[in-house]
Amino acid sequence: MTNIKIKSKNLNVYYGDKQALFDVNLDLNEKEVTALIGPSGCGKSTFIRCINRMNDVIDICKVTGNIEMDGMNINDKDLDVVSLREKVGMVFQKPNPFPKSIYDNISYGPKIHGKGETKSELDQIVEKSLKKSALWEEVKDRLDEPGTSLSGGQQQRLCIARAISVNPEVILMDEPCSALDPIATAKIEELIDELKKTYTIVIVTHSMAQAVRVSQKTGFFHLGKLIEVGKTEKIFKNPDNKMTQDYITGRFG
Amino acid sequence: MSNEHTVKSYEEELQFLKDSLIKMGSLTESQLNDAMDAVIKVDKDSIDKIIKSDEEINKFRSKIDTQIMNLLVKRAPMAIDLRETISSLKISQDLERIGDLSKSNAKKVKPLPLDLPDELLGNLKRLGELVMKQLNDVLDSYVNKNFDKAKEVWEKDEQVDDLTYIAMESVIDFLSKDKKNLDFSTHLIFATKNLERAGDHITNIAETVCYLVKGEYLKGSRPKGKVIQK
Repeated sequence: MTNIKIKSKNLNVYYGDKQALFDVNLDLNEKEVTALIGPSGCGKSTFIRCINRMNDVIDICKVTGNIEMDGMNINDKDLDVVSLREKVGMVFQKPNPFPKSIYDNISYGPKIHGKGETKSELDQIVEKSLKKSALWEEVKDRLDEPGTSLSGGQQQRLCIARAISVNPEVILMDEPCSALDPIATAKIEELIDELKKTYTIVIVTHSMAQAVRVSQKTGFFHLGKLIEVGKTEKIFKNPDNKMTQDYITGRFG
Repeated sequence: MSNEHTVKSYEEELQFLKDSLIKMGSLTESQLNDAMDAVIKVDKDSIDKIIKSDEEINKFRSKIDTQIMNLLVKRAPMAIDLRETISSLKISQDLERIGDLSKSNAKKVKPLPLDLPDELLGNLKRLGELVMKQLNDVLDSYVNKNFDKAKEVWEKDEQVDDLTYIAMESVIDFLSKDKKNLDFSTHLIFATKNLERAGDHITNIAETVCYLVKGEYLKGSRPKGKVIQK
């Protein structure tokens, strides 16, 4: 049986007067990939930013309702956000490696979370993370070169390696392939397939084909509401909601 | 929210595909009708025309194939569009096979004597009319996306089987009266069997229409008449 890793109940998000999410009820299954689709501004990114409390950095942002990870209330104001973000890693649309060496990009997180005490421990984490993100073979001889010297696709895999270096439970991906060419995209998608054996993954994507390829569950957002959620196969072959159908078939005016 | 695609040319391509399939369907209908007529009236003059119209149907099939390939490559259709595209592929295959069977029936007219007794052809005629009606209904159900009508066609295939059985019996009776009848009786048996097989392709189309409309396959096994059970 699949376990629910993250559960949102009547989740509302406001940016000042503007409401960005309306009563979102969405369960994310453990060790599965959930794709979130919908037109720009529909709230899908806002939703994933609730999972690692990224919305905290926006002063005017207010979150109400419930969002839990393994039964723990993510919105609890006493929650240690740093340790939450250790459990919930994030990869963004544009690869954003630190202006540091490839090695330091990976070892930075474990260091600040006190996970690698010695050099050899850190070496191990770096190697393991790069192997998991399918980048090791390409960079093992140039770990001291800047992360920014890599190609776009490699940089994105470096960011994924950085995210998994602290051994998270959940990885959030906000359009991780939109700046990449088809080959680099294929590598990331293959990687997602591999990573889902270990992590719970949420991916926001504008590519329907990508959502079909990588996810087991898909949620469709529109104007801040979760319109439909279900098995990916069902959503793309025979959705229940007309709005979902209109969106995925390109009939959205 | 409109029901039209944001990309107009996509809308046109899908419509073009549907139109092609409808044209192919009506061509298959008239060919089946002509072939039936030719058998019943032992009209040897129409054979060539029927064979020729089969070429037309085959051309439609490959045209539709190309349209589908282009749609898949260019548009990566989803949901109802995906079902529409895949259904067109399947339906055009079934129509083409029905065309082949009609052609085969037309060819069977050649060796038939002109003075076939009415009692021999009566049941075959009834079977032909039923298969015609089934094809007409299933194409209607496709055009109007009518699930219930498609399901009705699917259920009625049982009657096609039963009539096939009856038509075969009458040919066999006739054959048993005089061994001289063997040669053309065999042709009539094949013609009867061809109609039954056309009925099966119509049933396939009915299943496809049901899937197209609801996105689910019909549950349970097909109703089977006597000819199959025997």
